This record gives sequence, structure tokens and C-alpha cells, in this order.
Amino acid sequence: MTTTTTTTTATTTTTTTAKTKPHFWKWAIASIIFRLILIYFPKNLNLATRPEVSTPVTSLRRLAEGYWLTQSSMSPYAGSMYHGSPLLLSVLGPLTMKKIEGQPYHLLCSLVSVIADFISAMLIRATGLKLRMAYCERLKLLGLGKLFEVSEILPSEDIAALVYLWNPFTIVTCVGFNTAPVENLFIILSLYGASTRVAPLAAFGWVIASHLSLYPTILIIPVILLLGNGPDATPKKLLLMYKKDEGGSSSKGRVVNGLTEQKSFSWRPVGLFFVWVFIWTLYTLFMCGIFMRNYGGLSEMFSRTYGFILTVEDLSPNIGVLWYFFAEVFEFFRDFFLIVFHLNILFMILPLAIRLNHRPCFLAFVYMAICSMLKPYPSVGDSALYLALLALFFNELAEMQFSFFLFCGYVGVSLLSPVMHNLWIWRGTGNANFYFATGMAYACFQIILVVESVSAMLNHDRKIRKLVAANIS
Amino acid sequence: METMSEGEPPKPKPRPIVRLGLFLISHSFIVSVACCAAGIFALLLLPVLAKNTYISENALMPGSASPMLSNDDVSRARMFVNKVVSFDFKTDSSSIGIQELVAQHITDLGGEVNFHKFLPQANKFNPLHFFSGPDQGIVQENYTCSSYGINTVGFIRAPRGDGKEAIVLVTPYNSVKTSTGEALSLGIAYSIFSLLTRVTWLAKDVIWLAADSQHGEYAAVAAWLREYHTPSFDGSGKSLFESNASPRTGRKRHNDFLRAGTMAAALVIKVTDGTEKAERDVLNLYAEASNGQMPNLDLINVVNYLAVNGQRLRVKVEKLGSLLDAWWLRSLAELFHKLGTLARSLNPQWNFGISVAEYIEGTATLACSLYNQALGVPTGPHGVFRDYQVDAITMEISSKRLANYKNRPNELLLQGGRLVEGVILSVNNLLEKFHQSFFLYLLTSPNKFVSVGVYMIPFALLVAPLPMVAASLFADSTQRNSGTENKVTSSSDIPAITFESWRWLHAAKTVFIVHFWGAVVTLLPHFLSLVLDSLPLINLVIWIVLSAFTLLVLQVVLGSSVSLPRMKQTQGMEWTLLKSVTIAAACTGLCIMSVINFATAELGALMLVPMCLMARPLRIDAKAKTLKSFIRVACNLVLIFLFFPPVTYYLWKGALVGLDNARVGDFWNWVESLWTWNSATYIYMCMVHLPCWVLCVHTLAYPC
Repeated sequence: MTTTTTTTTATTTTTTTAKTKPHFWKWAIASIIFRLILIYFPKNLNLATRPEVSTPVTSLRRLAEGYWLTQSSMSPYAGSMYHGSPLLLSVLGPLTMKKIEGQPYHLLCSLVSVIADFISAMLIRATGLKLRMAYCERLKLLGLGKLFEVSEILPSEDIAALVYLWNPFTIVTCVGFNTAPVENLFIILSLYGASTRVAPLAAFGWVIASHLSLYPTILIIPVILLLGNGPDATPKKLLLMYKKDEGGSSSKGRVVNGLTEQKSFSWRPVGLFFVWVFIWTLYTLFMCGIFMRNYGGLSEMFSRTYGFILTVEDLSPNIGVLWYFFAEVFEFFRDFFLIVFHLNILFMILPLAIRLNHRPCFLAFVYMAICSMLKPYPSVGDSALYLALLALFFNELAEMQFSFFLFCGYVGVSLLSPVMHNLWIWRGTGNANFYFATGMAYACFQIILVVESVSAMLNHDRKIRKLVAANIS
Repeated sequence: METMSEGEPPKPKPRPIVRLGLFLISHSFIVSVACCAAGIFALLLLPVLAKNTYISENALMPGSASPMLSNDDVSRARMFVNKVVSFDFKTDSSSIGIQELVAQHITDLGGEVNFHKFLPQANKFNPLHFFSGPDQGIVQENYTCSSYGINTVGFIRAPRGDGKEAIVLVTPYNSVKTSTGEALSLGIAYSIFSLLTRVTWLAKDVIWLAADSQHGEYAAVAAWLREYHTPSFDGSGKSLFESNASPRTGRKRHNDFLRAGTMAAALVIKVTDGTEKAERDVLNLYAEASNGQMPNLDLINVVNYLAVNGQRLRVKVEKLGSLLDAWWLRSLAELFHKLGTLARSLNPQWNFGISVAEYIEGTATLACSLYNQALGVPTGPHGVFRDYQVDAITMEISSKRLANYKNRPNELLLQGGRLVEGVILSVNNLLEKFHQSFFLYLLTSPNKFVSVGVYMIPFALLVAPLPMVAASLFADSTQRNSGTENKVTSSSDIPAITFESWRWLHAAKTVFIVHFWGAVVTLLPHFLSLVLDSLPLINLVIWIVLSAFTLLVLQVVLGSSVSLPRMKQTQGMEWTLLKSVTIAAACTGLCIMSVINFATAELGALMLVPMCLMARPLRIDAKAKTLKSFIRVACNLVLIFLFFPPVTYYLWKGALVGLDNARVGDFWNWVESLWTWNSATYIYMCMVHLPCWVLCVHTLAYPC
């Protein structure tokens, strides 16, 4: 089945090129069928045991164990097996036990993953449509309608949805029996809610996503920006510049209207969002509290889920870089470095938010990519998410550099990583450094991806500004 | 290197490393020729660079104790051998005759005995085998099979041990018709066993596996090891052990499968009839396990040290015989010899000279080592142990005294027994698993090796041009294209959004389709073998026809349904992009293969690198009509013809054994042997080499 990984890797490339509507549905359905076929042979693939696919936090096998513990009236967190949310346990837990006659064991859970993936793709598509509309509208407002005549604007929402559906990382995650598809679904849901300015939905997605995997908490900034400013667009300065010029000569009503509409940060949806966040948080905590009342209460839940993530307790190998570091570091310095690594994420939040405040969705992509780099338990499911978000900006990133190099890097690392793992664990001829090297290479490629995409995006904005300036003069 | 290619247009002063990269890329032709030549030269230089082996693990201390194996043990073993040889297989109707004899002797010595009944299992193709543990694919099927094999396993519990570790002795013998050599190997193991039941120093349990090789040595050992490591709890295996009650005496033995902790090392002992005229007996060592894995070098060192210094045996490892009298190798050896003497005359401390005979022997051994590792098929029953991370080696004592052993049998038994005793004594001293010495090495003689740090150099030199040329081609096509784009867009005032940096997607799609096809080709023989069972020739033809057919279908289905926008006008230059992506794919494939099985990657690189680098559309060269282009066309055609896998196979075969009785179907047999042994070489051939070959053909035939 090495073949499937390689094949699907390249499928993304082919599918990104599919663009017309009938093609979209054809490929989307094909991807679902492909997943269903793969689900049927879980034993042969044995993906659930791969460290790249399921982490201690997302593994469904651990969830099944936790559910079994609760069935025998013990705390699901006993024995340090399960570290997820109690809500997931009560929703997905019964599915892990139920068995349809004559079917593979975890068919139901895998079906949930497939459905989650499909809904995510549809939400990405809807979000993408919104973003593309906003992009085109803004260009027209800036008097750059001519741009559409010389160049083709690709339907980036279809591309992004297909990238999400056909990305081998997503497929492997979906088939690999873990909860990452569900977590990704809630992250995308909150972005969708924010981009359509439905505050309750955005709040719901954000609260649940943060509750499930903690790191989406930082998405609150892009979500607020989305609710306040509307979808991604060129910097507002440009519009003002254009408006001044237009205002000097003859005022075009439509432009001015558009301007007044988008000029100020609208506080109403943001306020609503906070109210709903409050409501949903209370509700979630209440539900968790009911679940945990016999097992040590909410404090136990926090220490076993968030505490487990933040203190990097489990040092079993994964594709991240923290496990190796904390296995090597002296116990004495452990707390210090824990703080350093977690602050690392927080330090980047503010500068990026300032620089990219006009592009909240892109900001969300950057945040997710950085999280997947610095997470203690990353999996390929995280990259599946941010690669799909990246594909939403296919038009803006048309002139991104190093795309071929990055592609080769991702393919190479994802093939080399299982080989190195095998060399270390099964053959015994390699050692931990072999595997860690691929983890480092992976982190490096992620860094290059983030740096290049951000600079391509800024260059694109610069280009638009130049065009506007040329238009005015 | 590729990062450089896509760098921004040259700024006034780029950083030195960028300048170096740009320099290399702009001179990629000369650099790649130099690198390839250096790579081949470095490969030929490896026997000169080989180092003497040394025992790395201090605890081993080989030869520190004098052997305790006495004539008493040996004479007992001799009686045992006589019994085995004179065992009448005809009169004994029960299926468990000779096993019972062995078991009886082990019990008399005071060891525990256990029979292991197994069914011969056909090797099955499992393409994922490499990524999963060895316990995958345990299928117990076909219970109606009449002929069981029965292994006899004896245990000595260590008086000083905790039962957590064990040393394994394996003596394969055919229980239906035991030859003298097999009987003698049983005798050697028996003599050791009789000694070890009495000694007090044993810290690890000793297991003697008398493997029933009527269905093949490998299958017997593999079945036992599988049972040892993955006990079956589902009851399906239960019926296999019913026969543990001795059929003759009715005495009940242990009904369970006995175990003795993790294995520290395993020795496979064999005795064969030596035909050579050598004075001394010869000890042949076989170490290659599946996919080119080797046991720890320390194990080979210990055996070699004890055999040479203790028992005065001549130790040999396999050689490629046809290389020994090759004229070109001799002249090369003389050249190196002259260079060495010249260097020494200049400075006496430059001591890298090597005698002609030594170089030739070294090269022949190295070639055989590379070849065996590249095939990925284990050279003996020791190969199974490596799958469970146990270091194992086959010691084949080849004696010309075997024919008339009845006159002086004790000598052989004593010699073999003391050697094995010494090895067990050393391994017994180990505190941890073998880990001090190398796992990745090539042997150039029993006491000389090339370690991974040295043998990676030729490979690295061979592969280095690939990313460079890919980058240079990529940069070339991008530059050329942006030049044309600028001319087009300069007329209109608004620069269009061009998907300039994504143009490679088109080429990547083609490369992907061909690699996907490679995966299909890999799996085809598996399905073919399920469906039909016919002659190799017919199978081969069907395989080739089906492969060609699928390639066509894939090209039509996937190739047409998706297309990138804004790609049509640059059709002319597409081949550089295509070649660039092909080379990138080849480079990735080779690098991954070098981690899985280095020898395959090395041999693969020798073929793939020149082929990929040379490829260029024939029409361009045909239009040029210069001498250079003519030579290039000729080279391309020759390379493409030579490196089509079947052609390569027959050429290899011709070079090694001669093409006198070669048949067309042999290629199928060879491929089948590769995939039944789950060799990664097969996957490499179908998923890296073949697709790259097809892509090169595609590049050659590119319409310009």
C-alpha cells in the first residue's frame, strides 16, 4: 500500500487542475468512494498504529479504551490512555463498541470520519466562494476589472475542496481511525460561520474546536477580524487612496457606498460572537461537568486533557520535534523549555495579526501551520487542514516561489518517514535520530511553506497597490 | 539545490552560497559528468579503502578461555552420528522417527524437548511487508495438507541465567533422507549440547533447533520463529501440537510450545563435502538476510577470529567467480598497485597500496556482497532471524574428509564443536544485544569491510547531479517562459495573474500517471498468479501486454480529463520541465531506496542516473545534424535499450553465467522469486526504475 500514498500524493496535483463544475462533483464523489474502499481493508493498511496518523490525543483506539473504562464505571482518564474530550467519548464511544454483522470492526467510526471530511470539504467550498466573491468585488471597486480580462481567475473554492478531499494526508487521516477529521470539521465550521457572519455558528465552531484540541483557541483573532471586517481583501488603505482620487474628480456612487459600508470595523457581530461564546462555553462545561461528576470533576478533565497537551507527557515518537527535545532535555530545565515552546506560538500571534489583519482567513492558515509545527502531538491531519486553507488562495498565490521544491519535499518526507521509522523500530539498524531527522525536515518544509506563502501574499498585495497607483496617475 | 533554481532574478550581490549554487547550476553539464565519473571511480576504489575488522564489543573476549569440549563429548556425538546415519527410514513407518531419536538423546542429556509441528507455507506477496512487523500475514490455511514438518527443539536452562535470554543453534536436516553432512552437523550440535548441560558458566539459555528441512530449510526455521514470537491464542494452532506425546513410548512431553526469552544470537551449522584441494578445511560464512540486511559485524568477527586463530580453518565469503579472471579488473588492479607503490616511494607513510591479487579478490567479494544484498533474497535460514532483529549467521564447514569420515571422524566434530563452543562462550558474555559494531557494511574479505560512511560516497556522488540538473532545467524553462511572457504582457498595461510558478503541475501530472502505472504493474503478477497457472513465458507475455494496455488506458482516462489552463502556448519547452520532474522523482526514489536497501540503490543509480541525465528529444538532435547531436542520439538509444529491465536481466545473466541455456521465461522466474521473497528490489524495479524508463522514452519521443 505504499502505492496508495504515492498515488494519492500526486492525485492532488491532478485534481487541483480540475476546475469545471461537473468535474468537481465527479472528483468529490470519487474521493468518497475511494475512502469507502480503503475503509474496507483497515487490517491491511494498519494505519491506526502509525505515529504519523494517530497521536495520543486523537487516536480512536484510545477513545475506545476510555469508553470501555467508563462502561465499567471507572474514570475514562484512568491509566493515562485517553486524553480527549468527554463529549467525544459520549458521542463516538458507543460507535466503537457497536458492530454491524459481518462488517469490519470500526466501520461506523470510519464512516463518521468520511462524513466529517465531506462536510468539511463542502464548508471549505462555501467559504472559498465567499472569499472569491469578495476578492473579485474588491478588485472591481478598485477599478481593476480589466484584470479579469487578461487573466483567468480560477474557482479556488473548488480547488480547495478537492485538495482537501484528495490530499493523501486527509485520506490517510480519515482511514486511520482517529478523531482529527472531526476536529478539523469544527475548525472549518467556525471559519465558515465567521466568513458568513453568523456569530452563533462561528462561536459554536470555535468553542468546540478549542475544547477538542486546545490550539484552535488562537483562531479567535482571525474569527473576530472576519466578523468585524468581512472576508479577506486588499488593505483598506488602497481603497481610501482610490477614493480620495475618485472624490477629487467625479464621485462614483457605487464606490463610495461600498466604502462607507466597509470602512469601519463593525462591532455588532463581534459582540454577538462573544455572547455566544459565553453561552456555548457554559453549555460545554456544563455537559462535561455532568459527565465528569463521578470521576473527579472538571479539574480532572482539564489536567488530563489540556494538562497532557501542555506538559508534553507522552514522549513516544511522532512527526513533530518536541518529543525528541523533551526526551533529551534535563528534568531541571523541563519547565523552562515548556514555557519557551508554548510562548513561541503566542509570540507570533500578534505581529502576524497586525501584518495580515486585512486577510483573516489567510491569517487562520498561517496560525494553523505554525501550530502544526510547534504542537507536541502533531499528525498529518493538521497539514491536511492547512493545505486546504492554503488552496483557498490559489489565485493570490499564483506567483508563489519554490512550489515545486516544497512539493518534492512533502512527497519525499512523507515517503521517507515510515521508512526511517521501520529502520529504527523494526529492523534495529537505525536509531531515533534517523526518524527525528525526517521530523526536522518536515518542520523545515512547513516553515518554508509559511514564509513563502506569506511573502507571496504580501507581494500580491503590493502588485495590486502598484496597479491602483498606476491607474490613479 | 533546487531552491536556488527558483530564486529571484540575479540581484547585484547575492549571498556566497547562492552564488555557489547558481554557479553549479549554470555549469551543471560539466559538474554532472565529473560527479558521475567520480562516483564510478570511488566505487572501484572501495576495495582499496576497506578496513580490517576488529572486535568492537569488549565483553565478547573471543578465545579468552580454552575450549572445554572433550573427547568424551565427541565420541558420544560420534555414536549419535552413527545412529542417525544408519537410521533406517524405510522400516520406521511413523512420521516422527528420526525426530524421536534426536529428542531421546536430548532428554538423556538432561535437556528439555519440544516438538514443533508445522505446515509448509508458500511465500506470499505482501507489498507492505517492509513497513510492518514480521508478524504480519499469519495465515493458517489448508489443513488438509498431508506432509507436516516436525522440528525438534531442545533447551538447556542456564544455571546462572534468569531465562530472559537465549542463544540459538540451528541444524537443518532432511528428516526423510538425512545425508552424511547433515548428520555431522547434528553431531556437532549434539556434542556442544552434551558439554553445555554440564557447564556452570552458562548465563543464557541454549536452544537447539533441529529444523526439519524436507520443505526447505528456510520455511522450517521461519515457521518455528513465527510461532516463537507470535503465539496464536485463537485455538487454531492447537491441533498442531497434539502429537507432542511421543508416538512410540507414549510418554507425555510438554504439550506447550516452549520458549526461552529473547535471542541474543543464532548460529546455523552446516557441514558439506569440500571439493577443493585446499590443505585446511574451509569455513564458508553466509550473512545476507532479506533486503540486504546484515547481522552485526561483531558476530562475523568473532566467528572469523575463532575459526582462523583457534581452529585453523580457512574462512571464506562468497565471491563472484566470473570477475576473478576479467582482464579489465586485472589491469585496473595493476594500475592501483602501481599508484600505491608510487605513493609509498614519495612518502613512506602513504600506505594505501594493495597487491594485485588482493584487489581482484576484494572486488569479486565486494561485487558478490553487493549483488546478494541487492537481490534482497536471504542466502540461508539465518535470514529469518534478522526479521526478528536477531543477529544470525550460517557457518558452513566444508571438509574434504567428509567422504571418508569414518576413518577420522572425531577431528571434524572436535574442530566444529570447539568453534561453536567458543562463539557461544563469547555471546554468553554479552550484557546487551549486539550493538557496538556496524550493521551497514559490505565485506571485501572475511576480515575486511567497507563501512556505511565510506560506501555512501560513491552513491552520493552518483546521485548529486540529479537535483542539480533538475534545478537547472527548471530554472531554464522558467526563465525562458518568463521572457516570452514579458514580451507578451508588456503591450497591455495590466500584468496578468499567470500561474507561472505552478506550470510544473502539468509535467507532474504526467510523471504521476506513469508512477501510478508502475504501482499497477507491481501488483499485476500477484493477481496473475491468483488467476492462472501457466508457463513462465506465457505469464511474462501476459504481464507485458497487460502493462502496456493499462498504460494506454491510464493515459487516456487520466491524461485527458484534467488539464491546466494557460499551458498550451508553451508546449515547445515542456520537455525540459518534464525531464526536470522526472529527474526529481528518480532522485527521490533512489534516496529512499538507499535507506531501504543500499545495494539496490547503488546498482540502480548506476543505470538510472546516466539514462535520466542523457534523455533529450530525438527530434531536436535530429534537426541539429552535428556530430555531437549524433553521438547523443546514439548514446540515448543504447542506454534506453540496455536499461529496459528484461534486457538488463539477460545481460547480467550473460555476464555472470553465460547465455547458453537461457530462456525467455527466465525473467519471469527471477521476478517471481523476488516478489515471493518480498524483496524491496522488486518494488524498486517496478515503481522507480520502470516508470523512469518510460518517462525517458517519453522525453526521447517528445514532439518538438
